[in-house]
Amino acid sequence: METTTQQPQGQPPPVAEKLNPELVQLLNLESVKTRADSLFKAISRILEDFDAYGRTNTSPKWQDILGQYSMVNLELFNIVEEVKKVSKAFVVLPKNVNAENAQILPVMLSSKLLPEMEADDNVKREQLLQGVQNLPVPMQIEKLKERINLIAFACESAEKVLADTRKAYGFGARQGPSMLPTMDKGQVAKIQEQESMLRAAVNDGAGTRLPPDQRQITTALPPHLVDVLFVNDAGKNALPVAANNINSQGNTMQAQFMGRSAASPSNANFDTARSPLPYSNSPQSAGMLNAPSPQQQQQQLQQQQRSKLMQLPQHQQQLLAQQQQLRQSSMQALGQSQMPSLHDLQAQQKFQSLHGQQHQMPYSQSMGHQQYQARQLSGGHIQHGMSQGQLNPAMNRHLNQFSGGANSAMFTSAQGSPSSQMLPNMSSMQSQTLNPRMQQYGVSGTNAQRGHASQMLGDQMFNNSGMMQTQQSQQPQQQQQQQQQQQQGGYGNMQTNQQNLQPNMLQNPQQRHQNPQ
Amino acid sequence: MECVVQGIIETQHVEALEILLQGLCGVQRERLRVHELTLKSVPNLGVVSSEVRLLCDLDQQPEPTWTVKHVGGAMRGAGADQISVMVRTMIESKVSKNALRMFYSLGYKLDHELLKVGFAFHFQRAAQISVSVSSVNKMPKIHAIDEAVPVTPGMQIVVVTAPATPENYGEVAAAVSSFCEFLAPLVHLSKPFISTGVVPTAAAAAASLMSDGGGTTL
Repeated sequence: METTTQQPQGQPPPVAEKLNPELVQLLNLESVKTRADSLFKAISRILEDFDAYGRTNTSPKWQDILGQYSMVNLELFNIVEEVKKVSKAFVVLPKNVNAENAQILPVMLSSKLLPEMEADDNVKREQLLQGVQNLPVPMQIEKLKERINLIAFACESAEKVLADTRKAYGFGARQGPSMLPTMDKGQVAKIQEQESMLRAAVNDGAGTRLPPDQRQITTALPPHLVDVLFVNDAGKNALPVAANNINSQGNTMQAQFMGRSAASPSNANFDTARSPLPYSNSPQSAGMLNAPSPQQQQQQLQQQQRSKLMQLPQHQQQLLAQQQQLRQSSMQALGQSQMPSLHDLQAQQKFQSLHGQQHQMPYSQSMGHQQYQARQLSGGHIQHGMSQGQLNPAMNRHLNQFSGGANSAMFTSAQGSPSSQMLPNMSSMQSQTLNPRMQQYGVSGTNAQRGHASQMLGDQMFNNSGMMQTQQSQQPQQQQQQQQQQQQGGYGNMQTNQQNLQPNMLQNPQQRHQNPQ
Repeated sequence: MECVVQGIIETQHVEALEILLQGLCGVQRERLRVHELTLKSVPNLGVVSSEVRLLCDLDQQPEPTWTVKHVGGAMRGAGADQISVMVRTMIESKVSKNALRMFYSLGYKLDHELLKVGFAFHFQRAAQISVSVSSVNKMPKIHAIDEAVPVTPGMQIVVVTAPATPENYGEVAAAVSSFCEFLAPLVHLSKPFISTGVVPTAAAAAASLMSDGGGTTL
C-alpha cells in the first residue's frame, strides 16, 4: 500500500479517443486500482471489528480505533491526490464520490443509451435505411450517398430559382423595381368605380338600402334576431318598418296599435294619416297563422289588453284605481293612504254608473304621470285588471290608449282628440258656472305651490261635491263620463290647458307627499 | 374618439395581407362576422336625424354580442389636414340584445344593414390598434343574412382604427400612420371618404409573401 510506483508528471497529455499509452502510464491505473482495492479491504476489516464489538458487547479501545481510522484516511487521501494530478485533462463529474453519488455512478458510467433514447435511435435508423436494410453494407452506403446527392441538387436548383426571381422583381437592388407594372385605363376606371361603391357602402350605406316595399320581414329571422324582434300574440311583428317618407313617421307606432284595434270602433281617435296594417300583410300570418275573424281578433285584443293591464307595474294600477275612485266620489280625503273607507263605498254606490264597472281600489299617492292625467280627461272607465267587469267598446278604446305604454306620440294624439271631443260637450252640457270653475282649477293648479296643498284640494273637493250634485240627474253615459272628467278636473289635474301639464306633474308628487299624516 | 383609415384591397391579395399582418402584429387573427344595422332617427325627433349603429358579433359563443356605436363628425381644419388619419368622435358600448328593440321604441328606424365577413387583428403598438379586413355584404331581403351578397365581389375593405382621447390623439394618429406604412406594399390607406385606388405592385408583394421561401423538403 505504501508503494508508489511512479511519480506522475505535471503536464496534461492531449486528449485522444483512446487513452494515450503515455496517459495510461501517467495515470497508472493499475496501481490506483490496487491501492483502492487494498483500502477497501482495510475498511471492511475495520467494519467487521465493529460488528464484533457490537455483538460481544465489549467496548473497543478508543486509541486503537483512532489509529486505524487515521491510517485509512491517509491512504484515501493519497489515492485521490494522485488521481487529481492527472485529471487536468479530463472533466470529471461528479468530483467526489459520496453517499449520494454512489448509487447512480454505475448508471452514469455505462455507455448504453437510456431506453427512450434507444428507441428514438432505432426509429431514426429505420427511417434512414428503409429501403436498403437487406442489402449488404457497402451497397447501403452507396444508396445513401445517392440520396445525399439528389438532395443537394434539389437545394441548388431552388436557390437558383430564388435568385432569378429576385432579379426579376428587383428585390435585391437598392432602388426598387425597375419596371412598374402599369394598368390600362379601363382597369383603373373599373377599380375606381368599385372602390367608390365599396367605400360608400361602408361609410354611408349607399347601395344597401332596400326600397320600402321590400322592407317587410318575409324570410325567417337569423338566430340572433329571433328573440330580439319580438312577435306578439296576434302574429304581428313589432318591428316598425322604416318609412322613407317623413310624414308618416310618427304614425308607425300608432299603426301598430291601430292594427291591433282594427276591429274596434275607436279608430277615429287616432290619426288616420296612415292606414292600419292590414292583417293579411303580416308576414307571419301569411304562412303560419290563420287570420282570425274580426270578432275573435277583437276578443284577442281585449284579452291582450287585459293581460297587459295586469302586467302593469303596480303604481300604474294604483293610479287607475285612484282615478276611478275620484270619479266616484271626491269625498275621499287625500289624507287617506291605502285603505278604502266606508265613506268611499257609500259615495260609490251613490254614483254607481250604468256600467257598474268601477271598483274600489286602494288609493295611491304616486301619481304624477302625465299620461294618466291625459287618460282622466278622456274619461271612460279604465278598469283594473284584477276585478273585471265586461269590457265595452268604449272601454276598449281607452284600453288601447293605455296599452300603448309610454309612447308619447300616441298619447299626445290620443289626448288631443278625446279632449277635443269632450270639451264641446262639456260646455254644452254644463251650466255656465262650471266652466269658469274648471278654469279656476286650472289656474289654481299652477299656483298650487303657493297654497297649502291640503287646503287647496279640500277646496276642490268641496267644489266637486257641488258639481256632483248638479250632475246627478244626468243619466246618459256620455255625460257621466264628462262628469267624471270634471271631477277629476276639479281635482286639479285639468289637462285642457296644456301648460298646466308640467306644473301639475311637479305638484302632484308634492301633494301626495304632504298628504299622509 | 378614434383615429381611422380605410383602404381597399383586391380579394386575391387578401391572403397575403393576412400573412403580412400576422407577422406584424404578432397576435392570432380573429374571425370577423358582424351584422351591422344602421338606425336613423326620424327627423322630427331632433334638429337633424341622428344615426346609430348596432353591431352584432355573430361569431361569439355562446350568444352573439351586441355593441352600439355612434360615429360622429370628423375633425376639420388646418390641423386635421396635416394629420394623415381621420380623427372623429366615436362612442362605443356593449349592450344587451334588447338594444334593438329599445331603439325601435325610441323612434329609430332601420336605415340599412350590412354583413361584414372577414378577419381582424387587435394588438398594441403605441396604441391599441385594430386592423380588420372584411368583405362587405348586403342583403337582398331585410335581415336575410344567409342570402347576403358582396357589394363588390372582387374587393374588400381594410379598416385600421385606434381609440383616442382628445389629449392623446396626436400620438395615436402617429402610431396608426406609422403602422400603415408597413402595409404600403399591399394596400393604400387613407381617410375614409377619400379614394385611393389599389397598389399597382400589390401582386408582386403578394406573390413574395405567399411563396414558401425554400423551406419545403422534397
